[in-house]
Amino acid sequence: MSRLETKKPSLCKSEPLTSESVRATLAVLKEIVTSCYGPSGRLKQLHNGLGGYVCTTSQSSALLRNLPVTHPILKILTTSVQNHVLCSRDCGLFTAILCCNLIENVQRMDLTPTTVIKLNKHLLSLCTSYLKSEACGCRISVDFSSTQIPLSLTHSIITSKPACMLTRKEVEHISTLILRAFLLTIPESTEDPVILGQSIIVPGKGQRVTDSTVLPGILIDMSEVQLRRLLPIQKPHALKVALFCISLSGDFSDTGEGTLVVPSGVSLENAALDQLLNLGRQLVSDHVDLVLCQKVVHPSLKQFLSSHGIIAIDRLGVTLMESLSKVTGTQPIGSLGSVSPSSYGSVKEVGSTQFGSKHFFHLIPDKATVCSLLLCSRNDTAWDELKLACQTALHALQLTIKEPWVLLGGGCTETHLAAYIRNKTHSEAESILKDCGCTQAELQLMAKAFCSALESPACSLEHDGGEILTDMKYGHFWSVQAESPSVRNWSDLLSRCGCGLLSSQEQLGWSFLRSMHPPFAPPTYLPCAAVGLAAVRSASSLTVDCLTAKLNGLQVAVETANLILDLSYIIEDKN
Amino acid sequence: MAVPASVKTALRVAQVLESIVSRCLGPDGRQVLCTKPTGEVLLSRDGGRLLAALRLEHPIARMIVACVSSHLKQTGDGAKTFIIFLCHLLRGLHAITGKEKDSLSIGTMQTLERHWKDSCQWKFISQALLTFQTQILDYTMDHCLSKHFLSIFSPSAKDKTLCGGSLELLLGAYFCGRVGRNNHKFISQLMCDYFFKCMTYESGVELFELVDDCFVELNVGVTGLPVSDSRIVDGLVLHRDFSVYCPAEGDIRMVIVKEIIQPLFSTSRSEFMLNSEAQFQTSQFWIIEKTKAIMTQLHSQNVKLLLSSVKQPDLVIYYARLSGISVVECLSSEEISLIWRIIGLTPCELPQTSSQCEISNTALVKFCKPLILRSKRYVHLGLISTCTFIPHSIVLCGPVLGLVEQHESALHGALKMLRQLYIDLDLNYVIQASDQNGRSNPLTYKNSQKSNQLPEISNDSILRSHQNIVKSKDVCENLVVSDVELEANIPCSIPEVAPRDTFQTNKAQRCLSPEKNKIMDDSELLANSTDKSTTENTRIEISYENLQVTEIPRKGNLLPLRSKSLDICYHSSSVPAGCVLPVGGSFEILLHYYLLNYAKKCQQSEETIVITLIANALLSIPQTLYKSKKGNNSFPQIYLSSVHALQTHQPMVNSQVGLESVTGKYQLLTSVLQCLAKILTIDLIISVRRPPQKNCDQDSEDEL
Repeated sequence: MSRLETKKPSLCKSEPLTSESVRATLAVLKEIVTSCYGPSGRLKQLHNGLGGYVCTTSQSSALLRNLPVTHPILKILTTSVQNHVLCSRDCGLFTAILCCNLIENVQRMDLTPTTVIKLNKHLLSLCTSYLKSEACGCRISVDFSSTQIPLSLTHSIITSKPACMLTRKEVEHISTLILRAFLLTIPESTEDPVILGQSIIVPGKGQRVTDSTVLPGILIDMSEVQLRRLLPIQKPHALKVALFCISLSGDFSDTGEGTLVVPSGVSLENAALDQLLNLGRQLVSDHVDLVLCQKVVHPSLKQFLSSHGIIAIDRLGVTLMESLSKVTGTQPIGSLGSVSPSSYGSVKEVGSTQFGSKHFFHLIPDKATVCSLLLCSRNDTAWDELKLACQTALHALQLTIKEPWVLLGGGCTETHLAAYIRNKTHSEAESILKDCGCTQAELQLMAKAFCSALESPACSLEHDGGEILTDMKYGHFWSVQAESPSVRNWSDLLSRCGCGLLSSQEQLGWSFLRSMHPPFAPPTYLPCAAVGLAAVRSASSLTVDCLTAKLNGLQVAVETANLILDLSYIIEDKN
Repeated sequence: MAVPASVKTALRVAQVLESIVSRCLGPDGRQVLCTKPTGEVLLSRDGGRLLAALRLEHPIARMIVACVSSHLKQTGDGAKTFIIFLCHLLRGLHAITGKEKDSLSIGTMQTLERHWKDSCQWKFISQALLTFQTQILDYTMDHCLSKHFLSIFSPSAKDKTLCGGSLELLLGAYFCGRVGRNNHKFISQLMCDYFFKCMTYESGVELFELVDDCFVELNVGVTGLPVSDSRIVDGLVLHRDFSVYCPAEGDIRMVIVKEIIQPLFSTSRSEFMLNSEAQFQTSQFWIIEKTKAIMTQLHSQNVKLLLSSVKQPDLVIYYARLSGISVVECLSSEEISLIWRIIGLTPCELPQTSSQCEISNTALVKFCKPLILRSKRYVHLGLISTCTFIPHSIVLCGPVLGLVEQHESALHGALKMLRQLYIDLDLNYVIQASDQNGRSNPLTYKNSQKSNQLPEISNDSILRSHQNIVKSKDVCENLVVSDVELEANIPCSIPEVAPRDTFQTNKAQRCLSPEKNKIMDDSELLANSTDKSTTENTRIEISYENLQVTEIPRKGNLLPLRSKSLDICYHSSSVPAGCVLPVGGSFEILLHYYLLNYAKKCQQSEETIVITLIANALLSIPQTLYKSKKGNNSFPQIYLSSVHALQTHQPMVNSQVGLESVTGKYQLLTSVLQCLAKILTIDLIISVRRPPQKNCDQDSEDEL
């Protein structure tokens, strides 16, 4: 109470978006996210002037976490992107770019916020219902019996993170590993509901990326000496495992709130140790081969167990416990008393593995759905980036198995969707006008702003000054290198579209993406019907995106933009 | 330092507030982004929140905010309308008195002196406002407005059954003003669905009470997903994960415990003597066996779920797992009380001594499974309700936390509004009757907790004398009212004792009341004041024969009233629960129309002035609502057509869909009038540099 201070009044700003400084900061943020986007995106180095950790990245999760923003509007924008990334892992930059561009485009027009928000919402619902409908011309159904599309998905995700610093060969290696790791987590039995297992990423820094590998089961980091001492034992049969979650160090914690009176001469430590050794005897008589403990095991008990040929590993930590109980097929034991025989589990075999200078104790399960992805990279920053990319890819695969569809990547979905919306607002203007209660001119202006915002992530893919074209049949994304001679015949210059489904040999009409071209109705079927999906030979030639993540990103971006456009005041409490 | 307070200052303050608030009003209102000192970002369209976030310094502004907050505490709605209406009243007052002042002003008069004179005049007006509120407003509500009321309950059923369509319209209109315009339809639909899923055919107000009290436990916020992913899930979602989850089917029973199941060595304030190592080992063994026995016992009674308000030791968790019992730990007391309210299950006492004992407090659950929302696990329970509430939870999604919180508070506010709607609003007023001479009509006033206005005797001579008294005790009154923390309802609970011939005794009586005001705080002193006033009343009744006591103790005491010598008729009626009017200023236009009609019949000029003032200020709300509209929907058009309809006794046309609660509007009006009366009674603002004294706590500010 002595430090009682009067509160200062807050600062109230009206119409925050009209201020020049806010526009400028938004433009800076837009520049940052735009320049990071895509396989040829530029890297950002974030470091603290006082020294310390330097982060090199082009991923939204790392970028936005480390980027300090002060303005409330930017805070709203970045938090909403970060929340989306926490949720879906992928498409963070897409969300940020779309949101920034939508705000900027709307700001340029002289429309009332009410109309803008109503129309934005309507256009968004058109987009989502199209992407979810059967007649969507930019999504491919995924069949997990063939690896082609899942592999393309992981490949696309890894390629789009240039800060991983991977060569083409390494990308292929890593994406195969990720897919393998994912497939190992799918249980064999077809019970309902299917519960996916886990892939644990184990760091292997300082080695070549191609040394990365996937192993079934769990790797426990251990020193070489310790490992040598533990592992002369070879058993022909499966090993019986006891997994403890309580401390086996002989301490006693819960004695209640009252006092405990112990006369001198009575040694509780001895009593506790006796109890532990009793437990040890029971474990021996139950023919347990492996004792795992989350906390500490008393050295005497350890000694006792190893003299009876039982491997004892302690200090495993709480993070590993869930996977361990999954691998061994048992629940952790929480009692020092008699252990019921049903709480023992088993593993198929144990072994040792060495990667570089690191040694691991390897638990190989019978048929559990846990695997370890040993990820190697040359340096720390690249490893961090690679780990994030792997997590993203694994999560995208999980989302895809839930909703077995992928969207065309490489900017094609965005341009296609924009073409669809343009056509829709042109052909079905009356019904939209009736729903929203606005004028034709307002609708056309808004549709233009919305579509150009939708195309902006696609345009951000090009960082080297090249031109962006779109074809007039499917509405796909095509890019031409800079300084190409102006020719009439585009088909000679172009090779394949952004996603890799279409080749320039088909007679499609092209035009610049940003130019005014008449709206056309993109076909409601996949071009692969014409081309044949089989024509796409390798995974690297097809780029796809996770449908769930992109859809969520699209919705979050438009909702956030609506929210920011709806702001009438900012009240800053500066206490 | 002292600054003279005047209507001008108050008007200036109110105008600033109005300009901020009016942009967030109504369906076209926009959002406000508030940042907290902690860096959190909050989105809001809630007037109360907005005013609190401003952290105003000006004393009058703080007083207005305090009035708004006490109004909101009661009704949960109408903060923005409050400010706009208050501002227009002040504007009207300023215009009227501006003219009067010209005729009064004498060049040589010193400014302070003139100021004192002004404040006497304000005082007079403030009293007239209170008189208006207690006499004319209730009369108009009962006699004129009531025929326009619609009801939210379906007309066919005898008891209060909600009509689906009306509820939808009511909530739709409410959320229009509370939630960003891209989401209000969705949120109001969600709320509607929620009610119809939760309601049984016999649910009444207790349903709203339960949902309102436990709303925090009944919703789960999820960030990072679009708002359209929000949904209603069957059953109760606890905001935590299982400690142990064992899938179970069929007959699942659950128990709640509030202590650690495992017996411990010693309980608090006791000693445990350990004499040997063997004893230690046996006691540990006993503990293990005991825990095991309890779990087996639970298992044998088909208990598959254990809810615990404390963290259980590893041993308990282990045996629970072995017995196939799922465990949820660390439940809050609110969650436990919610479960108790839904299924009537109380925490069970565990058998500590005897080995075999039936555990009686178990309840059946439909299902118990994990619910995964954005990769976070929650406990999902299918409770079998024993009350009129069928448990359902709302999952609220939004891209940022600020938005989720906004939706949550809007839903909570809507609940408050609905809860209010279920209560009858009492109207008490007095009219002069010519033919009831001398007949004593004992009337019983049963006062609900809401109607805190005081019926006054509408005898103009009494009124005069009353005003005289008021003038004479200006100083006392000022002292009391200038205290910002005072609740708005205090000045009106002064017992009005006003016979003409016992003027002196009155004065004595009057002197008591300010003192009482001073000590009176919001609710804790209610009982106190009730006691005091009743004792005073009895004393007065005994000593003075022709004394009128029209004091209404606030806690529903029954007080017989006798009118012996005056021709007065007391009316007590009520606005029935569930009364609604169409949105878009219908209430305001109707009241405006009827008040003007009433004013035409009035003889007294002061009364007419006050009525006209209020009637005109009422129009400000529809005016602000229709500001951006053009053509047929512009304000003058709407106003003219409704007045025409009223004059020709045709139904009023309304372009807007939606309903709003009459009770809410009525309470808003009275709160504003009281706030204005309070402002007018202040003549001097004294700023004190001393730190605040200990006894004056700043409740009202913190609670906003």
